[in-house]
Amino acid sequence: MSEQSKDVCDPNFAAEASISEAQSSPGVPGDPSPPGSQAATLSEPESPPLSPPDAPLVSLPPQGPGEEGDPKALQQAAEEGRAHQAPSTTQLSPAPPAPAQLVQKAHELMWYVLVKDQKRMIIWFPDMVKDVIGSYKKWCRSILRRTSLILARVFGLHLRLTSLHTMEFSLVKALEPEELDRVALSNRMPMTGLLLMILSLIYVKGRGARESAVWNVLRILGLRPWKKHSTFGDVRKLITEEFVQQNYLKYQRVPHVEPPEYEFFWGSRASREITKMQIMEFLARVFKKNPQAWPSRYREALEEARALREAHPTAHCPRNSFSED
Amino acid sequence: MQGNTKKMGVMTDVHRRFLQLLMTHGVLEECDIKRLQKHCYKVHDCNATIEKLEDFINNINSVLESLYIEIKKGVTEDDGRPIYALVNLATTSISKMASDFAENELDLFRKALELIIDSDTGFASSTNILNLVDQLKGKKMRKKEAEHVLQKFVQNKWLIEKEGEFTLHGRAILEMDQYIRETYPDAVKVCNICRGLLIQGQSCETCGIRMHLPCVAKYFQASSEPHCPHCNDYWPHEVPEVFNPEKERETGLSRSNKRSSRSRQH
Repeated sequence: MSEQSKDVCDPNFAAEASISEAQSSPGVPGDPSPPGSQAATLSEPESPPLSPPDAPLVSLPPQGPGEEGDPKALQQAAEEGRAHQAPSTTQLSPAPPAPAQLVQKAHELMWYVLVKDQKRMIIWFPDMVKDVIGSYKKWCRSILRRTSLILARVFGLHLRLTSLHTMEFSLVKALEPEELDRVALSNRMPMTGLLLMILSLIYVKGRGARESAVWNVLRILGLRPWKKHSTFGDVRKLITEEFVQQNYLKYQRVPHVEPPEYEFFWGSRASREITKMQIMEFLARVFKKNPQAWPSRYREALEEARALREAHPTAHCPRNSFSED
Repeated sequence: MQGNTKKMGVMTDVHRRFLQLLMTHGVLEECDIKRLQKHCYKVHDCNATIEKLEDFINNINSVLESLYIEIKKGVTEDDGRPIYALVNLATTSISKMASDFAENELDLFRKALELIIDSDTGFASSTNILNLVDQLKGKKMRKKEAEHVLQKFVQNKWLIEKEGEFTLHGRAILEMDQYIRETYPDAVKVCNICRGLLIQGQSCETCGIRMHLPCVAKYFQASSEPHCPHCNDYWPHEVPEVFNPEKERETGLSRSNKRSSRSRQH
C-alpha cells in the first residue's frame, strides 16, 4: 500500500497505475488494511497543482470490497476531506472551498462518470474538468480520489485511467473479472446480441470478418444494411460507427483490394470485457451445439480462462455467465 | 463519529453488483429487477436467503442517501408495469441527458417535452416537433437529422413513439419529475388518485380531473358502473385491466417465440 503514497508526478504515474492494478484484488474478503491507515497513505506530500493537460493525477483507490463498514467509509471520506484542507491552504492562493463543496463535487463527478459509462461513452479527463469540476480544478485530485473511493465502496467499480496518453478513464468492475452480467436478464439489450454475433463470427474465422460476411450473418436475424430496424435503427451506422466509437469493433479497409472493401475486428474494449469462453457459450446456445464443435477455438477459450483464473484467484460460487434465471 | 450517522444499511458485493447492473440498464421492469437480484445473490452469496425486494432496495437506498441518489420505483403510464431506475436527486435539470447529447439535441428534447406537456393527450406529433427545428439553440439542425435524434431518444428510453407521435417514457417521468414540475408548474397535469405527474391518462369530460390508466384500472376494479371520484358523473371511458405480472409472463413468452426459433434473440 505504501507505493500509493508516492504520489503523482507524471513519469511515475504509469508505474503507479500498474502497481495499483496489481494490488487490487477483486472480491477478496477481509481487506488487510484498516480504513485508518488508508487515509494516512493517501495524504500526499504537497506538490504544486498542475494544470489539467499536464497532470491527469489519480491515485487509484485501495481495494476494499469486502469491508462491511460502508457508512464508516463514507464518513472516512468526509473526514479525509477535512484533513486535507490544512496542508493545501498554505500552498494555494485562492481560498479553498468548504469540504462540503468538495464532497458535493465528488458526488456530481460520480454521477457524471456513471452516466457516461452507462451510455458507453468515453470518460475523458478534460471533459470531466470542463463539465463537472470547473472552477475547482485545483482540487481535482482530491475530488477524483473521493469519487473513486465512493465508486469502489458503493458500486464496486474501479475508476481507472486507461490511457495516460489520451487521458481516458474507464469504469471497470472490481468485483470479478469482467462478466457479461447483462446475460443474466434474458430480455437484455438487443445490442449485446447483435454485437456478440459479430464478435463470434470474427472469433470463429480467426481473422477479420469482411463486411459482406457480417451482413450474411445478420441477414439471418432479418437485418439488412439498407433497412431501418424497429429496435436497432440504422444497423449499418450502428455497427460501423457506434460500436466502433465505443471500441467494441474495429472497422478497417482491406488493403490492396479494389473496389474498396472493409472488414471488422475485435475492438480493444471487447477484448477487455468479453471472454472467449463467453463467445463459445454464446455460439453453443445459438447453434445448439456443444462448444467443442469448434475445437481449436474452444481450446483457445480454455487457455484464456485458465490465464484469467491465475491472474484473479477468487473463491466464488461457480459462475454462470448465461444463467437462465 | 459513528454516533452522528443515522442507521445505514450495509453494502455487500451483492448490492454492489446489483447497483452496477441497474445503472448499466438505466431502467428495469420489476420482473427483470427480481431476476437481477437473484443473479447477484447467486454470484456472491448463493447460500443466503434472498431478501424481500422492497427491503433490499430500501437497504441500498439508505446508503445512497448521503450521495443524493436513489433507486426510485415508478409505474408505466400505459399499462401499469412497475419500473425501477437509479435517479439523481441533487439535480433538477435534465442533466442526465446533458452528457450524451449536443446542445441542439437537448433543446429538441426540451421542445418536444413542452409540446407533450401542453398537449391534451400527452402526445406530440412528429410533424409538430420537427417544425420547431429552426428555433433550436446551438448548431443548425435539419429535419432529417432531427428525426434521427428523436429515434435516439426512443432508443435511450427517454421517449416512446406510437404511430408517429411521441410521449415520455416511464423512465423520463421518473427521472425528470422534479424538473418538470418546477419548469412547467402551470401546464403540468396531476393524477387525481395518486397525485403523481400525469402525461397520459383519462379525463372526466364533466369536471376535467385526470387519472393515470393504471390508477383508473385499480380504482374501478370492483365497480360495474364507474363514476368520477370528483363530480360523480358517469365515467365515459373504457376501464383497463389491472397489470398482472403472472399473466404478463405467459404472454411475454409467446411474444418472444414469434421470432425465429433457431437463434435466440439475446
